[in-house]
Amino acid sequence: MTTWTGWLTVALLVIPTLGAAGLFVLHKPTESALKAYGVIVSGAALLPAAALALTFDYGDAAAIQHELNAPWIPGLDLRFHLGVDGISLPLVVLTALLTFLCFVYLLGARAVGRRRELVFALLVLDIGMIGTFLALDLLLFFVFFEVVLIPMYFVIAIWGGPRRRAAAVKFILYTLLGSVVLLLGLLLIWSQTGTLDIVALAGAHGAGLPRGVQIVAFIAVGVGLAVKTPMWPLHTWLPDAHTEAPTVGSVLLAGVLLKMGTYGFARIAIPVLPDGAHAVAPWLGAFAVVGIVYGALACLAQRDLKRMIAYSSVGHMGFVLLGFATLTPVGINAALFGNIAHGLITGLLFFLAGAIKDRYGTADMSALGGGMLGRLPYLGSLLTFACIASLGLPGLAGFWGEMLALLGAFQPAPGLSRPLFLVFMAVGGLGTLLTAAYFLVMLSRVTHGSPGPLVPTDGTDVRKYEYSAWVPLVLLILLFGLWPKALLSITDPAVQTLLGAR
Amino acid sequence: MIVVAALAVLLPFLGAVGGLLGPRSVRWAAWVAVVPAAVSAVLAAWLAIGRARVSGTLTLIETGSLPISVGLDVTELSALTGVLATVVALAVQVYSVGYMRYERRYRSYSAFISLFTSAMLLVVYAADLIVLYVGWEIMGLCSYLLIGHWWEDRANSRAAVKAFLVTRLGDVGFLFGIFVLGFGAGSFRIDDIITRFPEMSPATLTVGTLLLLAGVAGKSAQAPLHTWLPDAMAGPTPISALIHAATMVAAGIFVVARLFPVFAAAPGTLTVLGAMAALGMLGAALAALAQDDLKRVLAYSTISQLAIMAGALAARDADAAIFHLLTHGAFKALLFLCAGLVIHRVATNLMSGMGGLRRVMPITFATMTVGFAALMGLPPASGFFSKDAALAAMGEAARGGVLNTIFYGTALLTVAVTGAYATRAWLRTFFGPPAVTADDHHTGEGPATMLWPVVVLAVPALLLGFAVLTPPHLGTAVLSVALSLLGAGVVYAVWRRDRVRDPARLLGPLRVPFERAFYVDTVYSTLFVRPVWALARLVVRTDDTVVDGAVRGSGRTAQGMSGLLRFAQNGNAQVYVSGLLAGLLVIVIGAVVLG
Amino acid sequence: MHILYPVVVSVLLFSIGIYGVLARRNTILVLMSVELMLNAVNLNLIAFNVWLEDRLLGGQVLSLFVIVIAAAELGVGLAIVLAVFRNRRTVDLDRLRDLSEPEPEHEGRGDGAAAKEGVGR
Repeated sequence: MTTWTGWLTVALLVIPTLGAAGLFVLHKPTESALKAYGVIVSGAALLPAAALALTFDYGDAAAIQHELNAPWIPGLDLRFHLGVDGISLPLVVLTALLTFLCFVYLLGARAVGRRRELVFALLVLDIGMIGTFLALDLLLFFVFFEVVLIPMYFVIAIWGGPRRRAAAVKFILYTLLGSVVLLLGLLLIWSQTGTLDIVALAGAHGAGLPRGVQIVAFIAVGVGLAVKTPMWPLHTWLPDAHTEAPTVGSVLLAGVLLKMGTYGFARIAIPVLPDGAHAVAPWLGAFAVVGIVYGALACLAQRDLKRMIAYSSVGHMGFVLLGFATLTPVGINAALFGNIAHGLITGLLFFLAGAIKDRYGTADMSALGGGMLGRLPYLGSLLTFACIASLGLPGLAGFWGEMLALLGAFQPAPGLSRPLFLVFMAVGGLGTLLTAAYFLVMLSRVTHGSPGPLVPTDGTDVRKYEYSAWVPLVLLILLFGLWPKALLSITDPAVQTLLGAR
Repeated sequence: MIVVAALAVLLPFLGAVGGLLGPRSVRWAAWVAVVPAAVSAVLAAWLAIGRARVSGTLTLIETGSLPISVGLDVTELSALTGVLATVVALAVQVYSVGYMRYERRYRSYSAFISLFTSAMLLVVYAADLIVLYVGWEIMGLCSYLLIGHWWEDRANSRAAVKAFLVTRLGDVGFLFGIFVLGFGAGSFRIDDIITRFPEMSPATLTVGTLLLLAGVAGKSAQAPLHTWLPDAMAGPTPISALIHAATMVAAGIFVVARLFPVFAAAPGTLTVLGAMAALGMLGAALAALAQDDLKRVLAYSTISQLAIMAGALAARDADAAIFHLLTHGAFKALLFLCAGLVIHRVATNLMSGMGGLRRVMPITFATMTVGFAALMGLPPASGFFSKDAALAAMGEAARGGVLNTIFYGTALLTVAVTGAYATRAWLRTFFGPPAVTADDHHTGEGPATMLWPVVVLAVPALLLGFAVLTPPHLGTAVLSVALSLLGAGVVYAVWRRDRVRDPARLLGPLRVPFERAFYVDTVYSTLFVRPVWALARLVVRTDDTVVDGAVRGSGRTAQGMSGLLRFAQNGNAQVYVSGLLAGLLVIVIGAVVLG
Repeated sequence: MHILYPVVVSVLLFSIGIYGVLARRNTILVLMSVELMLNAVNLNLIAFNVWLEDRLLGGQVLSLFVIVIAAAELGVGLAIVLAVFRNRRTVDLDRLRDLSEPEPEHEGRGDGAAAKEGVGR
């Protein structure tokens, strides 16, 4: 069961843990030492992720690989069960990469107060995020899911904007509330099946779980995950948290934390509770498309750049949830693709918004005034690129998730009401139009026109450290956009197994 | 062979990458723009001359549902359209070297044109509808970037956004149409769809093609999604030539022709197409009659001419439509590039600022005259033959029903109006007293890089008609030439009386509505744009007060309830003990009574 | 001796203690009342120990515990009272209300305003 490569998964968790512990040992480290320390540790954590991707057997992407299964709390029959398959591998690599890029970005960021604590918080965050994607035991999943909250709370509350306290409190209370419901759902599954092993539960495809229990459990687990995703109308913690969080916080929040919610759907809710998913799917789809249109409309009327990007996440996650709601292989592929694409694109967008805020001292669009392409041409061009990727242009990563989600909705799983999902598809299509509208209106306001009265306090265009943090994202967006097979060929076999199609 | 097609698509793409990321020199940017376009043109011509059908699939992408096959498929139709696209793109690239090289942003400009060319070739050669859609959308992006090239001016930026959004609206329908046909045929491959459409139900066919038509209307600027095209004139003139002649607008007509067997099996769709075409061709021609901006005249004439192609398609004659597409591509590109020369010289777009340019710009005058003759459909210019073929097809169809007769009548009326507006533009630009131009630093006609493409394009604009050896249909030919000359004659008569004033004054009170294109923009603004903004504001308010209000409300309720309890917390320990005692008593009494 | 006698005595002692704890204002008197209550309990423990003839003498042992703890508690309590008196010049319980909830501050700590940020265009 446990293969030697299973230690790669452990290494992914141990390296940031040791790194975080090492911070206590350092005696009065200097700023630059801390900068280098963060990059080295997160870079070291990226190595096992890369090794994982390289040694992964792509011919058998449906199987759990690099498995580690050790007793954890024998009294409760809890196991420390880690592993990756086609669903989690891309997310693990994305997480390690984004964390690393965040540290690279911090290299150049100007004086950050309490840098040692920031590095510590980000490393603990890394443990939680990676652990969530690796865990194959329901309770272990939940533990990692929760571990993430605390460092993120401090990241927002300490290094955030002027109203950071309220945003941080809202973030942690809201997501904790969701977690409680999630835990109840997981315990319900446990009490009915007597096991917490995700692989065994998913392999059973809901056998032994009565339909009524499945529905209740799906609603509980689904609501818990939907808070994190976030699904309309459980999204209001997101704009506040994003607006107030520091740049790296926003990037990880949008790039990885939101994915933990959607990943839960693919890993737990749908495979373990197929009947429940079937019963709730129309509702999930309805909330998803409402979220798409609602998020897009909310973006149209935003004034703050970061807040707008935050609301755009609501819309994009709507497409991901719509993909799940179809319960078809193509829909779930779409959701997983959309997950990765959103992580890359919105991560980039938040990096850019942070850079703009650094330079101009504000992210308010009317204050920025326009003409960024004239003043900071490279930054403006990158912003244009990221926005265009985010609005789902074919050839860039954002397109395939949206298109495939709509394709899934065109022909949902047997037993789901087709006319209803056709309506969802049409509304979702309208959403893509509105998405394009708000991004272009924003670009027009900020990058076009003659430069406004507000002069950036720091007039240098994109710097070296910024390039090194952003270019990998740009390249990956292009790669997955031009060659979607790179991702679909990993997820598709896993999704087929997950739905029991093969 | 398939490598040739792939290279033709990829080279301009690589050119775009090289132009954007390469060294910052205009010389490099110009070479990297022109050479790939030239090679692509040669490759496309080779494919067209070879006449052999080339197809190949690189890979199959499993989506979990219908797979996407990444591949190219060069049919005869694709090969011809590919030649049109690459030749015009090459002409535009060469022309731009002269027209734009002193621009600060020439590099990005030429790179976007290369990307545009690549996307158009992808559309033309695609073997799979999803792959076609990719190219289709990238073209939309490039048009956005190029129309907004001079983004310092907010109006240009607005025009670019409008162009992208209006075409995207159609594209949403287009994507759904692809789904319908793809699922109907069980494959997204165009070949499979064409061979398997008899198995589909009529309802599927009609719905699928109607949805595709939405995208076609968006890209080819057909009513009711035409409003972006006149505004798109905000871009540099070579872009107008590229978008309005060879690439973007041609793509819509091309797709209908490519899937023509499927469309032909859906008579309902063809009727809708015919109605759209009839509305568009006459309306746009009338709007062109009243414009003062030379480029807007040409823009409306593009809408009108594309509608004639759509009319031919609705009359079930795809060959005539493609024939007109090719000749129109040649002469419209020519007209735009000539207009660019004129604008380059007089530094204004407005015809009231031109006049008498016949003597100072002889080459432009000669070539643009060829273009206008082709636009009016006068023999022996190419437009004569192709428009004749289209009209003949519509006349043939007119025997089949009242609606088709109306469409045919509209087309004939359009021919007359076309004659009128083309003559007006020609007279106002080149004849009459020279307008005073403050900016006269441009002497001569323009650099050679601008003149050569014009002269080269004039050849097909004049002679392309002879390439297709179909004899003109005598009845329609005579009728259309007569109508065209009639329109021209009326304008000429009015112009003769006063050579300074605009012959459009003939229209009287109708002039303003024509100039505003029947207020369609205003109607759309009140019907769609403003409600969306209002809705957006409503959503933000709702989000704050209702959705987030509930969240904050729950927080406040919890706080309020704890507020009630904290009254007990008054700091007096004796009160606490009293409470303790009271509680104890209650428990004891409860235990006694209940026990 | 009948169990009733010591129980009645202890009830009386305990009631006096409660009265003292609840009604007296002087902290020292309150502490003394607490002692009364403790001793009432001790009396009870011993009386029942005898009456029930407990071989392990649990009641007596427990009362020894109580006595020790009462002594310790009184030591700490009186020290606190002394410290309070030095600081405040009073040991009046009604005036020692530092643990009370402060006056309610006004609602709304700004998160409402934060959400309003994005309204309008």
